[in-house]
Amino acid sequence: MEKTPAIKFATSLLQLALLWLLASGLVLGVAHAQSSEPAMVVIAHPAVTEDSIPRATLRAILGMRLQRWPGETPVKVFVLADETPEHTTFSKSVLQVFPQQLRMAWDRQAFSGQGQYPEVVPSTQEMLARVASTPGAIGYVKASEVTPNVRVLKIR
Amino acid sequence: MCVCSRFAKTTSTVLLVAWSLSWGTAAHALDLLNGDFQLNGFASLTLVHTTDNNFFGQSDNQISKDFSELGVNASWRLTPALQLSAGLLSRRAGGTDDGGVRLDYGLLDWTPMSSEEGRAGIRMGRIKTAYGLYNTTRDVPFTRPSIILPQSIYFERTRNLTVSADGAEVYVERYGEGGTLSASFAYGQPQTDTEAAKVPLVGLNRPGSLDSKLAPDLQILYEGAGNRYRLAFTALRLDLKYQPGYRDILQAGRFRLTPLIFSAQYNAENWSLTSEYALRRTSITDFGPYFYNGTFNGQSYYVQGTYRLTPQLEALLRYDAYYADQNDRDGKDFAAATRLPAFTRFARDWTIGLRFDVTPQFMLRAEAHFVDGTGFLAAQDNPNPQALRRDWDNFMLQASFRF
Repeated sequence: MEKTPAIKFATSLLQLALLWLLASGLVLGVAHAQSSEPAMVVIAHPAVTEDSIPRATLRAILGMRLQRWPGETPVKVFVLADETPEHTTFSKSVLQVFPQQLRMAWDRQAFSGQGQYPEVVPSTQEMLARVASTPGAIGYVKASEVTPNVRVLKIR
Repeated sequence: MCVCSRFAKTTSTVLLVAWSLSWGTAAHALDLLNGDFQLNGFASLTLVHTTDNNFFGQSDNQISKDFSELGVNASWRLTPALQLSAGLLSRRAGGTDDGGVRLDYGLLDWTPMSSEEGRAGIRMGRIKTAYGLYNTTRDVPFTRPSIILPQSIYFERTRNLTVSADGAEVYVERYGEGGTLSASFAYGQPQTDTEAAKVPLVGLNRPGSLDSKLAPDLQILYEGAGNRYRLAFTALRLDLKYQPGYRDILQAGRFRLTPLIFSAQYNAENWSLTSEYALRRTSITDFGPYFYNGTFNGQSYYVQGTYRLTPQLEALLRYDAYYADQNDRDGKDFAAATRLPAFTRFARDWTIGLRFDVTPQFMLRAEAHFVDGTGFLAAQDNPNPQALRRDWDNFMLQASFRF
């Protein structure tokens, strides 16, 4: 019972520390978003009619919420493994979602019956091959690795 | 004994299946039908040691192994607008859960409306209850911030009432420049037919049974800037009636519970800050002279920070507070009325924890709780309230696997 004032003090200390963390994180977050990274582009099956896509829609597709393109073609999402530099860069700079947040969102949906996981492909070559051959497919590669048999989607 | 061996058998079968599935393929989930059918699962084992009181089995001054979780779920995307999903769960948790396999959820999700800007649909069947930020996957170790969720809001002892409900849920999502706004409204029958649902409300060894009306559940969630901010509001209403049994000292009483939960989370690259506040309006009436009738507001909140020290290692610090009645925070009025210990009406829990992701499939966790009060302890593990101790510590170790 004697530790109540101590706990109160510790609570206020914790609150201060967390506020400071939050503030510094906001500053870091802004600084981070402005730094430049190797360019990743969104690619889709050539029959996908769009040539640009809003970032919010792209987030909903990669977040495995939006399941079909306008015109009812099913969306098929391909990703590389979480720890690959391509996935990390794509998540952070194109999608602007931290890869661990994307993973959490997939887990939350898959383990409550509200969604599914995207298909993980082992390499960029496989990504290009699968996106080129699967109707409604969407994925990502480095800008320098785009092949003519996939469509590049701009972010608007 | 029978339950243990059944559990052991299920565990070994699932681990064997999981092992044979993961062998030879890098993917952690089983995909069939071009990925339209997916199978996932998880298993966890936990050791619990408390300095006083029992948590998840006989843990007082000894080590309890009576907390384990095992789940398998499957989903099948029939068309882009239709998905069928089901999850089976076996959970052992001291005196509150025996490891029996049950349907955790089983639903058909139909999304008739879908565009670049959003989607809307309905889920029908057994649906996980939207309740704060963590409830829908509360039994999946990898989705939790700690071995046990903050007990002030995600009680283990009353979990059955809020874990899932049989009915329907409509949902709407809008994908905007700033973030995603989602709303869901469910209307369903909570699960009240188990001892685990009954005991925390009316106590041990009551001959009667609980019935629930259909319960409405509303959640509004805003996820901004690529999930950096997550803000949610949840309102749930439970209306339960007690049907007295043979020679019952209790009368046909009624519980009305209306929790309102405000949730906020900020996610930076290497740390997250989460806080949830719940106001729980509770009305207990008509149970007669041998029960604590009354109307009061319960209050719960926690503040939690996690920090990723390395990509595999995450530290946790949390303060979690629970008050059964905000006008009787120290429980003195309750103690005077019932002669039960005042400290059973609150709990303040300081938690530190460490998460080690050995591989993406295998996770180890260690956690320590320093608790003042016994407000969230289960009567099944602590049948004699006079034997409870106010100040107690809880140490846990957990190993989890998933595929």
